[in-house]
Amino acid sequence: MKKELKIIQKERTNPLAHVFDDFISFCQSKSLFMLHYCTGCGAIELPPAMTSRFDMERLGIQPMVTPRQADILLITGYVSIKTLKRVILTYEQMQSPKYVIGICSCTVNGGMYWQSYATAKKLNEYMPVDVYIAGCMPRPEAVMEGLQRLKDNIRNDKKEHKGSAWKDYFNRYDYYLGNQQALFGDDWQTPTDIIAEAKLYDLETEETYGKHTKLLEKHQTPLLPQEMRIK
Amino acid sequence: MNKVPIDEILNKVNGIKITHKRKTRIRVDVDADSLPTLLELIKGRASYIHLSAITCVDWIADNQFELVYHVWSYEEKCLISAHTRIDRGSESNPAKYVSVYDLFKPADFFERDIFEMYGVTFIGSPRMEKFILTEWNGVPPMLKDFDAEAYVQETFKWTDYNPDWLQELTDQGGGIAVKPEDIRTAGNTHNMSTHRERDKAKAAAVKANEKMQGWKQ
Repeated sequence: MKKELKIIQKERTNPLAHVFDDFISFCQSKSLFMLHYCTGCGAIELPPAMTSRFDMERLGIQPMVTPRQADILLITGYVSIKTLKRVILTYEQMQSPKYVIGICSCTVNGGMYWQSYATAKKLNEYMPVDVYIAGCMPRPEAVMEGLQRLKDNIRNDKKEHKGSAWKDYFNRYDYYLGNQQALFGDDWQTPTDIIAEAKLYDLETEETYGKHTKLLEKHQTPLLPQEMRIK
Repeated sequence: MNKVPIDEILNKVNGIKITHKRKTRIRVDVDADSLPTLLELIKGRASYIHLSAITCVDWIADNQFELVYHVWSYEEKCLISAHTRIDRGSESNPAKYVSVYDLFKPADFFERDIFEMYGVTFIGSPRMEKFILTEWNGVPPMLKDFDAEAYVQETFKWTDYNPDWLQELTDQGGGIAVKPEDIRTAGNTHNMSTHRERDKAKAAAVKANEKMQGWKQ
């Protein structure tokens, strides 16, 4: 029998709870690891933003090489439908809390590739996006400004519910899955079981389920751990 | 070994038309039947061993595809572009042509690319299957009768962006001086069948130009 794992939310009785919350979100906003998925030309603005000229690290943001150890997914430029698959896989691998930044006009509305049959237009149809930085391409100053905005959002997360776009992916998984299925076909399945994760984090709502998740269940092959062996 | 002039070799092919563009570029027009013969000749008799690309042009008005084989010689430092025209076919009877894979191995990829983008089947090519557009199930997208814009409009949604500062421009009729439709109709005059259509398009183009001038001032 499958064992149900659940994090039980304890009742908050500590009078200093909100102080700790504030402190935690303060710490989170000061230490961010960024995975840059450089799909388009916007990537050229990142080296100056990262290195000594604008120095992203003074904001506490460092580049990271793997999705599992990163907080921010930075998508720089147009996302072709083929790439979008990989971007979604990368996004789902990241641990919560996770943030997505869309750089360049292409992630907002297709940009100069708006007529193309091969590029996805709105990134936030397929995954929740925290901050968009429009421009073709945005200058490093704009990139820094956007990162600063994200930091502020994380800092004010608990107060204004700003920096929690990632929760939306669990809350409204059916919507995102529907858009993904419309592009990739009905048998689309990722190696991450989002519904199980939503249950684990206690983030499931009515909108987590729907006709698209039913369709997924129909096609879903069970996710088994891979056998470890030497051939 | 005496070097045979390239023209002498090319002239062995029936119905060939040779145009010397530059010192390093020769354009050759041949029938679809004699193109493989030509390629074999210039590979075997001359030193044209590098097939650098195969391109395809969709001449929708003539109901033909134009295939261009670019073959480079490292010794002559010269590129022969062999043009040929094949029947465009239809949906039920797609265009077919013979593969040159046995002559030039890289043709595998070029032919696969053309198969994907234009739907031309190359008989004898080892892998006539999807190449880059693995997520694409529609008609070959580079065909002139595939309307990418219509496809995009019905497939994707758009982000709304209506800030206050843009409102002034929107009230004036938008920020676009010349609408894309006008440019497109103006550019496509050669495809139009009647004089009336042509005149209409030209008038639209003139109007669009005037509008553009107005915006510049």
